[in-house]
Amino acid sequence: MTGSLSGVASVIGIGQSDWVGDHSRVRAGERPHDSYGYGAQAFLSALADSGIARDEIDGLIVGPTTAYERVGELLGLNVRWGGQADAMTAVMEACMAIHAGLASVVALVYGNDQRSAQVNYGGPDAQGGAAFLAYVYHAPWGFTSQGALYAMMARRYMHERGLSEAELGEVAVAQRLAASRNPRALMRKPISIEDYLASPFICEPLHLFDYCLINDGGVALIIAEAGKARSIGRAPVAIKGVGRYDLNRGATSLEPRLLDYYLPAQQAVAAQVFEMASLGPEDMDALQIYDSFSLHIPLALEGYGYCPVGGAGRFMRETGISLAKGLPVNTSGGHLSESYMQGWNHQIEAVRQVRGEAGDHQVEGCRHVHYSSDVAGKAISIIYGA
Amino acid sequence: MANSQPVATLYDAPMWQSLAREHMQLQSCGHCGTLRYPPGPICSACTSMDYHWTDLSGGGQILSWVRFHRAYFDDHPPPYNAVAVRLDEGPIVVSNLIGPEPEGEWIGRRVRLTYRCHLDRTQHAFMLFEQS
Ligand SMILES: [Zn+2]
Repeated sequence: MTGSLSGVASVIGIGQSDWVGDHSRVRAGERPHDSYGYGAQAFLSALADSGIARDEIDGLIVGPTTAYERVGELLGLNVRWGGQADAMTAVMEACMAIHAGLASVVALVYGNDQRSAQVNYGGPDAQGGAAFLAYVYHAPWGFTSQGALYAMMARRYMHERGLSEAELGEVAVAQRLAASRNPRALMRKPISIEDYLASPFICEPLHLFDYCLINDGGVALIIAEAGKARSIGRAPVAIKGVGRYDLNRGATSLEPRLLDYYLPAQQAVAAQVFEMASLGPEDMDALQIYDSFSLHIPLALEGYGYCPVGGAGRFMRETGISLAKGLPVNTSGGHLSESYMQGWNHQIEAVRQVRGEAGDHQVEGCRHVHYSSDVAGKAISIIYGA
Repeated sequence: MANSQPVATLYDAPMWQSLAREHMQLQSCGHCGTLRYPPGPICSACTSMDYHWTDLSGGGQILSWVRFHRAYFDDHPPPYNAVAVRLDEGPIVVSNLIGPEPEGEWIGRRVRLTYRCHLDRTQHAFMLFEQS
């Protein structure tokens, strides 16, 4: 395909901060680092993992929570190309920059002190309102928090598509099982569907276990031009396909959520990403799905064709979405049980799975991993492969 | 915590003034008649920037609803509901259902526009149509 980004770039290094250790320290009242410190730890870990020297990096993308220049200053990186982006856009932009010849080795650095800095995602100072008007527009009626937006969406989706409360609970249960096998995960005590149903509502119909964690930490990746990546020695993980489609019309009045359930965006991205990768849903050995809330999982299963539209409840209950049964989703525990690194932890988990380095939560013979996010109806996919 | 506050852009102000009169109005596109919510400078259906403020029939239907069990604002102690209402004229409005709540399913129930004094403002709310 002309202009395709398939195979243009590969991940050669991944890293993270000590999510578990720092979570304990934060809960004990300490502030181990700020967002820049966590990002720096993750960067050092990714750089060591890649085996390259720091001065080989010629591109830098930082996460949305830190200033681009300050991260570059702290890490001592003068670069040919750079920017600021969320996790999925950052991976896509790194591929684009490499394809365009603007950079050959790009460092992606994310750090977030959201827990110790007591960032609020709902209420009078709800984070994200500057970027998404829906996060703040309905506040006079008490309608606030991204959880409430997904609760509103979930109620209608469950009604229209016939998803039961217990079927939605399969998400939290499956991801907790994965986390129980992952020493990097924060929440490792297995839960049952009964535990899920008995857990308190936050914004009904969503329960506590439908919500992501809030914790501090950092994640980094080093992405290199494919030829350079192969010359480095250890097995690089290729980015085989990327795709994106954004639903913006009617976003503040929740139309993409309540009328479309993001489906047109995901179907457009599915066509793009699978064609670019010359692969289909049947080739995927594991899925990583951005899960600020459990509802993202049935939406993606239907949107990307892993099950029929309206069939997610049955798929999750009968086929399964866990390491024990069916198509494994969020094999590290995801945002619900591993760590809330805003899509960044999903990228490094995808790389670990393709490398075969995921330890007790490794998917046997994992060759291809599909990452999907659909936050606020902005659907993005990345396919990682050996 | 603190109290909730409306977003007040240039285009929102006339709507809040209409709410204060208990006579809610929205912008109607001068070219295609599409109503805008939230208020804004351009019609996203046809891109016309012409509009006039128009009355609403007051009728609508519940698309979805939630109940908050956690406190986010001083002026909204839990538990409380929020409803997404599709106005008969088209726009989806997030508001509160006041008065008696439906027995059984909420989704699809007919509602009518009403008003509620809240802090120092008057804002829209909805009641079940049967209770009118
Ligand atoms: Zn128009």
